[in-house]
Amino acid sequence: MENTVTRPANAPAPAETAPYVIEMRNITKEFPGIIANDNITLQLRRGEIHALLGENGAGKSTLMSVLFGLYQPEKGEIYKDGKKVVINNPNDANALGIGMVHQHFKLVDVFSVLDNIILGIEPNTLGFLRKKEARKRVMELSESYGLNVDPDALVEDITVGMQQRTEILKMLYRNNEILIFDEPTAVLTPQEITELMHIMKGLAAEGKSILFISHKLNEIMEVADRCTVLRKGKYVGTVNVADVTKEQLSAMMVGRNVKFAVDKDPAKPGEVMLDIEHLTVKSRLHKKNAVNDVSLQVRAGEIVCIAGIDGNGQSEFVAALTGLEKAEPGSKIVLDGADVTKKTIRYKNTHGMSHIPEDRHKHGLVLDYSLEENIVLQRYFEPDFQKAGFIRFDKVREYADGLIEKFDVRSGQGAVTPARSMSGGNQQKTIIARELDRPHKLLVAVQPTRGLDVGAIEFIHEQIVATRDAGSAVLLISLELDEVMNLSDRILVMYEGEIVGEFDPKTTTVEELGLYMAGAKRQTKQEGGSEHA
Amino acid sequence: MRNTATHTEKVPFFRKPAVQSIVASVICIFGGLLVGFLVLLFMAIFSKDIPFSEAFKGILIVLSGPGAAGNPKDILFTCGNMLFTATPLIMTGLSVSLAFKTGLFNIGAPGQYLMGAMGSLLVALSIPQGSMPAWLIWTLAFLTGTLLGVVWGAIPGFFKAKFNVNEVIVCILTNWIAANVVSWVFYANQEAFVNFAETKTNFIRKTISNGVSTATFGLDKLFAGSYLDVSILIACLIAVLLYVMLNKTTFGYELKACGYNRNAAKYAGMNEKRNIMLSMAIAGGLAACGAALWCLNGQQDFKWNTYQALPNVGFNGIPAALLASNNPIGVIFSALFLRYIDTGGSYLPGETAFNEYVSQLIIAVIIYFAGFSKFIKDFLTKRSAKKTPLPPKAPERLDPEPEPAADTVQPAEVPAGGKEGEAK
Repeated sequence: MENTVTRPANAPAPAETAPYVIEMRNITKEFPGIIANDNITLQLRRGEIHALLGENGAGKSTLMSVLFGLYQPEKGEIYKDGKKVVINNPNDANALGIGMVHQHFKLVDVFSVLDNIILGIEPNTLGFLRKKEARKRVMELSESYGLNVDPDALVEDITVGMQQRTEILKMLYRNNEILIFDEPTAVLTPQEITELMHIMKGLAAEGKSILFISHKLNEIMEVADRCTVLRKGKYVGTVNVADVTKEQLSAMMVGRNVKFAVDKDPAKPGEVMLDIEHLTVKSRLHKKNAVNDVSLQVRAGEIVCIAGIDGNGQSEFVAALTGLEKAEPGSKIVLDGADVTKKTIRYKNTHGMSHIPEDRHKHGLVLDYSLEENIVLQRYFEPDFQKAGFIRFDKVREYADGLIEKFDVRSGQGAVTPARSMSGGNQQKTIIARELDRPHKLLVAVQPTRGLDVGAIEFIHEQIVATRDAGSAVLLISLELDEVMNLSDRILVMYEGEIVGEFDPKTTTVEELGLYMAGAKRQTKQEGGSEHA
Repeated sequence: MRNTATHTEKVPFFRKPAVQSIVASVICIFGGLLVGFLVLLFMAIFSKDIPFSEAFKGILIVLSGPGAAGNPKDILFTCGNMLFTATPLIMTGLSVSLAFKTGLFNIGAPGQYLMGAMGSLLVALSIPQGSMPAWLIWTLAFLTGTLLGVVWGAIPGFFKAKFNVNEVIVCILTNWIAANVVSWVFYANQEAFVNFAETKTNFIRKTISNGVSTATFGLDKLFAGSYLDVSILIACLIAVLLYVMLNKTTFGYELKACGYNRNAAKYAGMNEKRNIMLSMAIAGGLAACGAALWCLNGQQDFKWNTYQALPNVGFNGIPAALLASNNPIGVIFSALFLRYIDTGGSYLPGETAFNEYVSQLIIAVIIYFAGFSKFIKDFLTKRSAKKTPLPPKAPERLDPEPEPAADTVQPAEVPAGGKEGEAK
């Protein structure tokens, strides 16, 4: 284990000559209207970390679902240790030693860590659990792989990082030797990501083979031995990570060169557009306030970012700001000089607040409506789009077609495509198009690029900078530190419902932010005084 | 992406939502008929007294609906009554489907129906004949009945919107409250309303006894001897209006948005609580309107001691709505179909050894199958995907534009992968 962990990232993989433990040969999987996997070959060596890189909709998840037995391919074969196998369902996959950590963990919240690990294969005598035995085994595994968990803690009480370690232990407990990680870092803090990388290297050194699905190039460069790139359902190539640069990988993935840094001029902050004073929101989960006495200002022409680990009150803060939830008495929200604390969502919508919601399926879209119907979700009642109570569908179509072209929203049937059948990236583009094209003085963007690929992220970042330059105030709430550092003009860190620090992205570092996000450091009000300025 | 028309044309026939809905309904209907037939067959097989051929005769009678009446004159008469009894069913079907569209389950249609019947009968029989034109009494009675239904539907809507109380529970409670209120009101005013004249003490006086009846425009002559009046046309007109409201107006857009995704509706600034209340109120009005149309026909016996049983037509609105996939126009046809099967079934006891409940069983099975309609639609999509070869390029994913750039980049990249010896 030691030598793997310390192995420099650019050294040749020790598994260079190791046999293939899994081979997926010429896999083709079709869905109505789309070929998700077109003749894809993936070969995983024993003991290697093999990254699977591709944009959203490139076919990564489909390929892994085929391997995990959730889909049957139309063409192609799967070999395990050189022998042809047929995987009809996840149980077959499990029997072959294939385990998967899903992006959204499959854990029972009210069960303990131990219970979750043994769930489904509980050792028992006549139906009575033999938990001692299970505990011993779990603790052994946990120690030998350096996976620190508390077996008796309830899953709902532990950190996301520990939940992920629980998922990994689940796979190890089942003696899986092929471990699939589906975008494992999306929910972690920088420190936790470092830890996970360490764990993955350790697992590989112990002879486990790891498939690592990601579109974060930095992580792939750091941890993976080889990388297979998919684009639009097609196989682009497999490379030794040590032989390529980040830029080359991204060009393979997107099919063109991508800018990583956001091009933007220095902000020219103008009038105060949003002034929040003493915003407090009660928590639904615990007695403490989810948002506690937050005061901040956003000026026209600047992008202010609230960084923080998921679950530190950002969602409640936005809900109260936009009107989805009630703020406690004493809170005050002033939008462009007018007190909107008690105003309805409709009022805020029509008086200059645009909102890219965190959850595009829950709030952002009516999935059973068509693209064009979603485009006018907040505007259908405006004279442009209705007459005497009747919706002017011709105008709606005209407007939607315009936005589709302007924002390059791609869909199967154009404006009449059901939102449900669109890809995640294009759903998000639909929302962005709608929110940015509405007259607005303030844009509240919550994780606007969540789950999107570099190409789409680049586009959305450009759009957000453009609306800033057009004089709009932008309040960005993001969990992605890259995004925070790249896009914002000012960074506020939220921890446990409070703003614990204010930073200038030019002078701070990701590590520094990480310490504040984890609650290890905190500025006093004086240090972060400019937040009240 | 602008040339939407060409894209729309590409959708294969069996993947069109409308086609799928209709095919799914037809499959449900055939499934129901098949099971009904099997039941008849089994009864024939296991009973010594029933000959085998009875099963075929039975299912044919059910299938022929009013046609089972025999001679053309009787068929016409039966058709007329079928159309008339379909009228309240269309209305309760519309009531349930509108609520469904807003994401609510209106199981309160029986109660709303009762309130509508009470309201219209009270007005139709209380205003003395001759004190004002009969058509005015009719209109007042119709409006009163409908309005009571609006109020009755608004109650569950209010509790749902204000306190998030499940509308099903409140609906069931309001159903029985309505049943008892109606019984109590008529019990307390027996002299004025109960049909002592014809010694039918379980029934309210026919409104014709006060000179109030729905215009027939000769429909009763066309379908000689039947009860048919223009109410069927009124119901169809309301269905069309409802369709227009749901699909063409901002109000319908809001209602559906609330039904499909309450959170998104709230996010978009719609007043989802108001919409829930309005939707339930209108649904109540529709069910009550069906009752008013039925009662004001003039010839109908309304059984007033309703505390013993809720009217079936209220509950049957649920199958009518389900079978029509909540499409208001579809409800007209599903209600007619349900009545068609009913009518055929009513001839079973006279003509065969079976009783009329077979038609109820068939309807029940059809509704059961309707639960699989999503499955049937998915199946159609799959089948059609297999038959029609897929377009070569995936329309949803990335664009063709960057491709040239990609080709210029790729050669530099692929060898890096290629030298690994991956290409076998």
